Amino acid sequence: MSAAAAVLRRLTFSREVVLLGVLIVLMIVMSILSPFFLTVNNLLNTSRFFVEVGLMSLGMTLIIITGGIDLSVGSNLGLSSVAIGFSFAAGLPLPLAIVLGLVVGTAAGLFNGLFITLLDLHPLVVTLGTFALFQGLAYGATGAEAVSDFPGWFAYFGQAYLGPVPGQLFIFIVAVVMVWLILSRSRFGRYVYAIGNNEEAARFSGVPIRRVKIAIYSGIGLLVGMAAVIYTSRVYTARGDSGLGLELDVISAVVLGGASIYGGSGTIAGTVLGVLIIATLRNGLTLAGVPSTWVLFVLGVLLLVAVFFNEFFRVKEE
Amino acid sequence: MPVKESKMHRKGGRNVSTRQMWGFKGVRALLLMALILIAASCGVGQQAQQGGGGGGGPTKICMMPKLVGIPYFNAAEKGAKEAAEQLDIQLVYDGPTEAKAALQSQMIEQWIQQQCSAITVAANDPNALAPAMKKAGDAGIKTGAWDADVAQDARDVFVNQATFEAIGYKMVDLMAEQTGGKGKFLVVTGSLTAPNQVAWLKYMRERMKEKYPEMSIASVQPGEEDLQKGIDITKNYLQANPDTAGVFGITSVALPGAAEAVKQIGRQGEVAVTGLSTPNEMKPYVNAGVVEKFALWNTVDLGYLAVYVANAQVEGNLPKSGTFKAGRLGKVKMLAPDEVLLGPPVVFSKENIDQYDF
Repeated sequence: MSAAAAVLRRLTFSREVVLLGVLIVLMIVMSILSPFFLTVNNLLNTSRFFVEVGLMSLGMTLIIITGGIDLSVGSNLGLSSVAIGFSFAAGLPLPLAIVLGLVVGTAAGLFNGLFITLLDLHPLVVTLGTFALFQGLAYGATGAEAVSDFPGWFAYFGQAYLGPVPGQLFIFIVAVVMVWLILSRSRFGRYVYAIGNNEEAARFSGVPIRRVKIAIYSGIGLLVGMAAVIYTSRVYTARGDSGLGLELDVISAVVLGGASIYGGSGTIAGTVLGVLIIATLRNGLTLAGVPSTWVLFVLGVLLLVAVFFNEFFRVKEE
Repeated sequence: MPVKESKMHRKGGRNVSTRQMWGFKGVRALLLMALILIAASCGVGQQAQQGGGGGGGPTKICMMPKLVGIPYFNAAEKGAKEAAEQLDIQLVYDGPTEAKAALQSQMIEQWIQQQCSAITVAANDPNALAPAMKKAGDAGIKTGAWDADVAQDARDVFVNQATFEAIGYKMVDLMAEQTGGKGKFLVVTGSLTAPNQVAWLKYMRERMKEKYPEMSIASVQPGEEDLQKGIDITKNYLQANPDTAGVFGITSVALPGAAEAVKQIGRQGEVAVTGLSTPNEMKPYVNAGVVEKFALWNTVDLGYLAVYVANAQVEGNLPKSGTFKAGRLGKVKMLAPDEVLLGPPVVFSKENIDQYDF
């Protein structure tokens, strides 16, 4: 009984439960604001828009736990999308073009990882550089043109439904489970936390820091590549400005989910809740007829409040 | 449980009672935060509904610009609201804060859930919006485009602000008025590949050939929608070619750039400047006498017409040919069964420019 009480207590006060509470409150508020919000149709449809950000947030969680950051994910999405579209337009069969998109995304992530670890540079500076580099490459290689004459079956990745459920939701769920297993059930996951808590200590404990970092930056690259396939399929167009600005949504979701930007803490459950809260807020406010400029404002308020409470908690916890 | 692990790594053993204490305060604090959020979103929501709603009728028209927050589309919103009030229908006017097609397609999908009677958009990319617009059409919503078209098979109707021919001819006519119908000219464009600019240039050349054989375009230079670049190009060209009679600036950035260049080298009155831009951009140059006249469509009227057309679609009385009566605009022409024309371009000059605010 005391064990049960302890579990209950831990559950009550964990950040994830609080976030879940915020999500439920938000959903109630939104359903009051708009009669269209709390319909199965709308909720399922909303999931079509957070999967791309969600996939990238999973990788970003690991990066932020190590105390790093990746500002280039949005640009990388554009680059991968362009790689799919333009290699297809140049005559590559579409399945191979999709594989190429995944390869380009992963390679771009690997490039970040190598640059950061081999030259021992701060990820913020490196990915700020590749943010411009990837986007410039995506624009330059395509002359800012767009490709959109994909065959019908390409719509499967971003526009298909299984019954009422959007297809990409399944991809997301699988990715969530995989990344969760890696982070909290494997040695690799422990290494990630160890690096974030104290890199020096981790080094002396024999954690292969470089290899872990290269792996997580390549990993987010692969997730970006997957997001690029879904994104390109959803809007049925490949162009250089795809994904532009998404890095902010991704980092916001992770920070809202409770990961510390200083490294050492963060969970997949928290990040997924962060993604859901932002998606609910965006969708609900739009349905309620709030102009998008004000949606942005409310999102900003939410983030500041969340960051304040997160850091406030952390100081107290220490 | 991932939570447990992260905490273990960070802190090792921790006193349960401390956790309990802070946890309790934390929950209260978070409840407070939730309350603040509710209050904030309610407040904003009410405000928006007052501002966004046009009337009380059952028809709900959802209209999207390429982006919100720039004068051009604010002017269109003004016209749209005016039309919604006259028709006594509900208008939702919103768009992304950046000119991105993906954000637009997301908003269209949300509008489908919101059960709009008609959706009309100014597309950032004709093909990227096609899947969402087709979905809207399948859901029984009337679909349309205004200002910038969507792929033709993905919408029912397009509200065209001006034909390429009318714009091209008008610019040449305005220039001919000022230069006596002769001379060599520089054209500053946005980019050499933009389809609308290429089409305008074609009709400008055609007009010169047919009506003003002594006029000719000596050079076409891309200003890349960069004000400073437009200024530099024009200055350099005019210094190298002093016999140039006039400069056309055929985008809303190229024209003020050309005017600024002529002003800076002190040749106003000698080198004629005209083209396409918005009245607000050009007011200083018109008032200073650098630019006598220039052209554009009336954006307020474009927004107004888009709402009238969408309403006619909902009521099912949009004709396939001939003319269509759109409130204070009177009769507007059906260019094609699925295309409505706003009308001839508007010419702005010192006399009328202060009546416009966009």
